[in-house]
Amino acid sequence: MPSRRIAVIIGTFALILAACGGGGGSSGEDMLARVKRDGVLRVATDSNYAPQSFLKEDGTSEGFDIDVANEVAKRLGVKAEFQYPQWSVIEGGKWADRFDISVGSMTVTEPRKEIFDFSQTYYYTPAQMSVIADSGITSLDGLAGKVICTGEATSYWQWLQGTLKLGDGGAQTPVPNGATATTFATDQDCAQSAQSGRRDFEGFLTSSTTLKAAIDAGAPLAAVGDPVYFEPLAIAIDKASPPHAELNAAIDKAIAEMHADGTLSGLAKKWFDGVDLSVKQ
Amino acid sequence: MAVMQQGIQPSIVDEIARAQAASRRDFLLKFSLTWVVIIAGIALAIWSTGNADPAFTVKWGPLILGGAGITVFICITSIIGATVLAVLGALGRLSLNPFINGAASLYVSLVRGTPLIVQIYFIFFALPQMGIVLDPIIAGIFALAFNYGAYMTEVFRAGIQAVPRGQREAAQALGMPERLIMRRIVLPQATRIVVPAIGNDFVSMIKDSSLVSVVSLQELLWRANSVGRSNQQLIQALLIAALVYWALTIIFSFFQARLEKRLAKGDR
Repeated sequence: MPSRRIAVIIGTFALILAACGGGGGSSGEDMLARVKRDGVLRVATDSNYAPQSFLKEDGTSEGFDIDVANEVAKRLGVKAEFQYPQWSVIEGGKWADRFDISVGSMTVTEPRKEIFDFSQTYYYTPAQMSVIADSGITSLDGLAGKVICTGEATSYWQWLQGTLKLGDGGAQTPVPNGATATTFATDQDCAQSAQSGRRDFEGFLTSSTTLKAAIDAGAPLAAVGDPVYFEPLAIAIDKASPPHAELNAAIDKAIAEMHADGTLSGLAKKWFDGVDLSVKQ
Repeated sequence: MAVMQQGIQPSIVDEIARAQAASRRDFLLKFSLTWVVIIAGIALAIWSTGNADPAFTVKWGPLILGGAGITVFICITSIIGATVLAVLGALGRLSLNPFINGAASLYVSLVRGTPLIVQIYFIFFALPQMGIVLDPIIAGIFALAFNYGAYMTEVFRAGIQAVPRGQREAAQALGMPERLIMRRIVLPQATRIVVPAIGNDFVSMIKDSSLVSVVSLQELLWRANSVGRSNQQLIQALLIAALVYWALTIIFSFFQARLEKRLAKGDR
């Protein structure tokens, strides 16, 4: 009967789907064992976040975060393989085992500590406020009541909402009175929007490194005021991933070694114009 | 008299034919001129923004073009999946079994009634919460096949119903079992009827595949977007992507026309 044939076909289809789903997380083995066995460390990072990570013409990427990830993978004895999900996908956790770690300059905050297991800090950046160059604003107070652009789901957005709790309890400058936030998918989108001529916002808050790269690329922005806070940035693993205590420890150890033997300092000076951001200012 | 008439008629016929050919050529010339002028106008407008950097096309063009391969792969795989789903769905919608008919009708109504982008988000982001984790490319293919399968179900159903009843009655008179009738008599003829609609859907799918860029699959639009924004050459990047999509649809429309001609051979 045709209807039974159809039922069998639909049933097979459903089984195939279920099989796809059950793929990850087999036994209780640690992610480190799986990474070493596959010889690949799956890293999630951004595709448009110069100078931390950005695309090259051949489709691969380069930048500070890329170099750090490659170095960590090398010390684990494997190769790093990069994926470029949207930042809000990375930051939201629940990675569904699509990748192993995030090397994306993620700020360590108290709420995030509940979703991610962080390595030790691999570098620090000042969170620097900037304004559109012809806006005439010269201080943080001048941004009272104005619109400030940030990347979606970043610590900069949290600071503007007043909900930022830095993981190392660092000090934060108060938010300009009545300033509101607008967001784009990633920080550089704000700069690129200003550069293309749009004027949807007056201020732009991001890390000083990202701001510098944007200005060098021609964005009409000017830094204003002192850094509003200093953020510790670390490698993150989703707590909902398969068991990863050993992977976390191995990465932590790699970062510690990279601090001690000067690798991180060297990379920081290479990408951040000679400023060694791997040590706290 | 007769000789004079013979002398006049051919030249009038000739003149009319020549006039028609001339007016056709005239139309074609003005038609092409309009295309050239409008496209040149757009190109000039972009050039005058002072932002266009030809070096960008040379440097990043190959990377963006590489995305076209993935786009074509996704589309071909999805259309095959969609066709399978469509045949099953159409048979289900025509079934006398109320459970199968109900399921197929729900599939069509639900999937045609929700936006494709919502379905893509659902399959990629929401299914993991239920334990089903799909790779971006599998999720993309599945979403497109699932969505287009619903639309094509209706097309196939109409195609099956458009096959003359006499065909089925003749087959029944020959004592053919129902399944064989469907497989050997009805479906082949129905397929010929629906080929234009499927070709149409395929061309449409080439463009809808750009929605899969939201799950960070590095196909044509994702690359154009990523690269264009980070180099402040978004106009150029998106134009390249648009031209490639246009070229792809022209190529596939051409093949579709040839396929239709081939299938219609029996009609002449």
